[in-house]
Amino acid sequence: MTVFRTSLRNLLAHKGRMALSAVAVLLSVAFVSGTLVFTDTMNTTFDKLFAVTASDVTVSPREADPTDESPDTGRPESLPASVVAEVRGAKGVADAQGSVSSMGVTVVDRDNKNVGPTSGAPTIAVNWSPYELRSVELVEGHEPRGPTDVVVDRGTADKHGLELGTPLRTISADGDFTAAVSGIVEFKVTNPGATLVYFDTATAQRQLLGKEGLFTQVMVDGEPGVADTALKADVAAALGDGFKVQTAAEVADEGSEDLAGFLDVMKYAMLGFAGIAFLVGIFLIVNTFSMLVAQRTREIGLLRAIGSSRRQINRSVLVEAVLLGLIGSVAGVAAGVGLAVGLMKLMSSMGMELSTRDLTVAWTTPVVGLALGVLVTVLAAYVPARRAGKISPMAALRDAGTPADGRAGRVRAVIGLLLTLAGGGALWAATQADKAGTGSLWLGAGIVLSLLGFVVIGPVLAGGVVRVLGVVVLRVFGPVGRMAERNALRNPRRTGATGAALMIGLALVACLSVVGSSMVASATDELDRSVGADYIVQNQMGAPIVPQAQAAVEKVAGLDHVTEYRPVDVRITDPRGTTSKEWLAATEPSYPGDLRREVTSGDLAAAYAPGAMSVGSDYATGHGVKVGDTLTVAFAHGSTARLKVAAITADTGNVDNGAMYTNVTTAAAHLPAERMPASALLLASARDGQEEAAYASLKEALAPYPQYKVSNQADYKEDLKDQVGQLLNIVYGLLALAIVVAILGVVNTLALSVVERTREIGLMRAIGLSRRQLRRMIRLESVVIALFGALLGLGLGMGWGTAAQKLLALEGLGVLEIPWTTILTVFVGSAFVGLFAALVPAFRAGRMNVLNAIASE
Amino acid sequence: MTSAVTVPRHGGTGGKTAVAARARQVVKAYGAGETEVLALDHVDVDIARGRFTAIMGPSGSGKSTLMHCLAGLDTVTGGQIYLDETEITGLKDKKLTRLRRDRIGFIFQAFNLLPTLTALENITLPMDIAGRKPDREWLDRVVETVGLAGRLKHRPTELSGGQQQRVAVARALAARPEIIFGDEPTGNLDSRAGAEVLGFLRRSVDELGQTIVMVTHDPVAASYADRVLYLADGRIVDEMERPTADAVLDRMKDFDARGRTS
Repeated sequence: MTVFRTSLRNLLAHKGRMALSAVAVLLSVAFVSGTLVFTDTMNTTFDKLFAVTASDVTVSPREADPTDESPDTGRPESLPASVVAEVRGAKGVADAQGSVSSMGVTVVDRDNKNVGPTSGAPTIAVNWSPYELRSVELVEGHEPRGPTDVVVDRGTADKHGLELGTPLRTISADGDFTAAVSGIVEFKVTNPGATLVYFDTATAQRQLLGKEGLFTQVMVDGEPGVADTALKADVAAALGDGFKVQTAAEVADEGSEDLAGFLDVMKYAMLGFAGIAFLVGIFLIVNTFSMLVAQRTREIGLLRAIGSSRRQINRSVLVEAVLLGLIGSVAGVAAGVGLAVGLMKLMSSMGMELSTRDLTVAWTTPVVGLALGVLVTVLAAYVPARRAGKISPMAALRDAGTPADGRAGRVRAVIGLLLTLAGGGALWAATQADKAGTGSLWLGAGIVLSLLGFVVIGPVLAGGVVRVLGVVVLRVFGPVGRMAERNALRNPRRTGATGAALMIGLALVACLSVVGSSMVASATDELDRSVGADYIVQNQMGAPIVPQAQAAVEKVAGLDHVTEYRPVDVRITDPRGTTSKEWLAATEPSYPGDLRREVTSGDLAAAYAPGAMSVGSDYATGHGVKVGDTLTVAFAHGSTARLKVAAITADTGNVDNGAMYTNVTTAAAHLPAERMPASALLLASARDGQEEAAYASLKEALAPYPQYKVSNQADYKEDLKDQVGQLLNIVYGLLALAIVVAILGVVNTLALSVVERTREIGLMRAIGLSRRQLRRMIRLESVVIALFGALLGLGLGMGWGTAAQKLLALEGLGVLEIPWTTILTVFVGSAFVGLFAALVPAFRAGRMNVLNAIASE
Repeated sequence: MTSAVTVPRHGGTGGKTAVAARARQVVKAYGAGETEVLALDHVDVDIARGRFTAIMGPSGSGKSTLMHCLAGLDTVTGGQIYLDETEITGLKDKKLTRLRRDRIGFIFQAFNLLPTLTALENITLPMDIAGRKPDREWLDRVVETVGLAGRLKHRPTELSGGQQQRVAVARALAARPEIIFGDEPTGNLDSRAGAEVLGFLRRSVDELGQTIVMVTHDPVAASYADRVLYLADGRIVDEMERPTADAVLDRMKDFDARGRTS
């Protein structure tokens, strides 16, 4: 109990200093629990959505993939209306309704603006039926009664200012048609951002499926008392093969599973960043406790002298850590819920609507948060606690004004050097690896080892690096600069640990920026080498080009040619008799000119001859196929053909790797027209000298189809750069958390240093150091620590990034580009971080009373 | 009450007045109302230029407070303090700091030196802070006077207590301040090291014409001074010219006895 009381008193006595460590724990725990709350909430939202929308049993065509937003043909799989009647006749069925639902549509307003979400959630067009009233409620107007009526959801209507009577044009694979808003519905559960449009059944069938009398699903409700599983069995028995019959639970599971993949990626990415923040926080906590123990040396000596055991001292520090961890974690869990709400708001602004009604805090969230927070804090405090236990009773008698300088030991230097060398070796091995799998293992090991090495060796390096920085940066400031340099050097372990915290975040920034700009540089390089087409037309989410949009493109004046690209599902049997599932790229003879592919043997142009095709080199080697061999190609939903291999393309580079080419006419000969996939993208080239004009006309021709984007080579590269840039910005944003924690560490170190050096500061003020000079001295020390961390971090990160690029060269990341502007900006920026961190400590030092400072212990 | 104000004498130090610093009716009060304590109670004092003045008195007599006020380290509640012809009472921190830096030297009882700087760097610190080049010749002379020539590259932790105080003396002398204040500069030293430091202070007055004010409670230390001022209860109660250790001790016993009977 006494131990507890002393710990509590100590904690309270140093609450200012502890506060920063508590904030570090808080931030990390908040990130973890925020992530958990956010993903749980998303799960709840979707579970509710699936629960309310599913009928007891759903029947769909066997091939249907409800999560595929863009089937190749642009039209969902359907089943005939007769199936509905068959289902009605099955045992235990109370009611069955045919339903039409398609995600292959785009809905635009009068100004050709897409009213659906452009990323994330889909636009869903469905037929109006009593089933829909289970999930929505008609709040305005009336249900769709004919081909000119359309009902939209409230969220979409509000966002785009749609009112009753507003005309909406729906673009589907079966053409465009316009209907006026006849009603608005509101969701009974949270609609996470999808745009819904409802048509009457006949219109939906005609416009979405191509003809009347077809449905995409049959919604089946059982008689009271019939279990879903029993109903499923009966319905399946009545229908026979060729259908997918699922219970409500299975439908929900299928939906959740698909979502879970996305959610997991997000969850683990965010937890990864939380882990980095924790790692940085550990440095802060270690430093805080080390400094507190050092300051308390005499007090601890006294406790030892009057009979406290080592264990008691040790334990009292650890109990303090537990208290700190508890406070930080409790606040962190609370902040995490706030963070989750903030994330939900952020997602809303990006089109993913989540409601706080569904906010889910599982009991595991606070448990995980608290356990992690306390565990990490105690682990971090363990070494300082042990050091406290080792303090001899003699310390009470010694006049230890300022703690002895912790010299960076030789053992530390050797261990650090060995780790760094091992890390460097592993990174080098990664660059030499010829398989991505083993290479990434080496890379991972190299990153971890070199990071550890730098952390261990940091205090040793601090001496040299700070001196160099001193010469470059501080000498300008004369004696004040010199004193700042000496102060930064007087406790290398502290400077090292403080700098290391910043180093981690900045190393990741540097590494990712190197990989990111190498990605852009490599892709640009490859585009320059391989792309011959002037323009590319595609949908950002990979939806195929609807025929009317393709027709509009083909009509553009000034174009030399337009090349389509239709991915066709096939099963190929090689000469040895092995059958595998593949896909053919059905294109036109102009394609090899639009996209130059390296050929290992044969002639690619010949692959466009009737009855011919090409294969990729990987397939060729794997299946022992040579030019001249004949493959048996069974077209899905079509007939079987025997195609001659006319060319083998080299599977190097990133663009169209492994594609098997054949002529569109060859594919068309073996496929019914309605089964012909739509073109996934369009490539086009202008006639000589008409590039600018054709580009403008293309844009104009595609204006009614806002879901497609046309780019020329320059814009395409620019887009690519922007996309990578956006991705990097998100990652930098998440890394900012680690950097904030590191800044707290710098503030903490400075604040404690100022307290430790009270007498010195008093002395300097007495003999004539002005407040301004004093503040500048502290700021400069802070800048030096920050620059030290930045230098190490950026160096390390560039090393990682370079190794990663060399490894990824196997995957086509052939060009190394180091973004010097980013690196330099970060370096200079970290100087400002240092200035910022020193604001409060410098201000407090300046305010000290000279006499009190001199007289203090 | 004996007045410590001397009649101004013109001599020794060029065109400057013979009084290096003076206090007029200086009051320093702590607390307010009923709990008000007067640390200095209307003190008048003149510090003669080129002389070594000791301030003595029992604990709590206000001797340190007087020195701090004279040196511009502490503010006064009332009265005026002049350094030469400059009134320092009422000066803002910025001007006071500059005044301390350029015109005053300090020697504290302990912790006089910055641990990160070498002895030489500590000595030249006030001038470095001011951005002035130290006068090489003078510096050499000071360093030689205090006998530190071989130890200039050492850090304070590598020096003995006596050596550290000698560095502090050298620092105070190096910038040629108008006046040096010592706050029990030998309080932490054994008698031999103490005698050495006091010897240097004496020599700097005799040979370099330095003005020194020293607070002490050690009669032996006080005997190095030209003049001793006695403080009790915030007032100057006595003074002695050309003191000897025995005379100082006798006078102190006197005060103690009076203090006990009154």
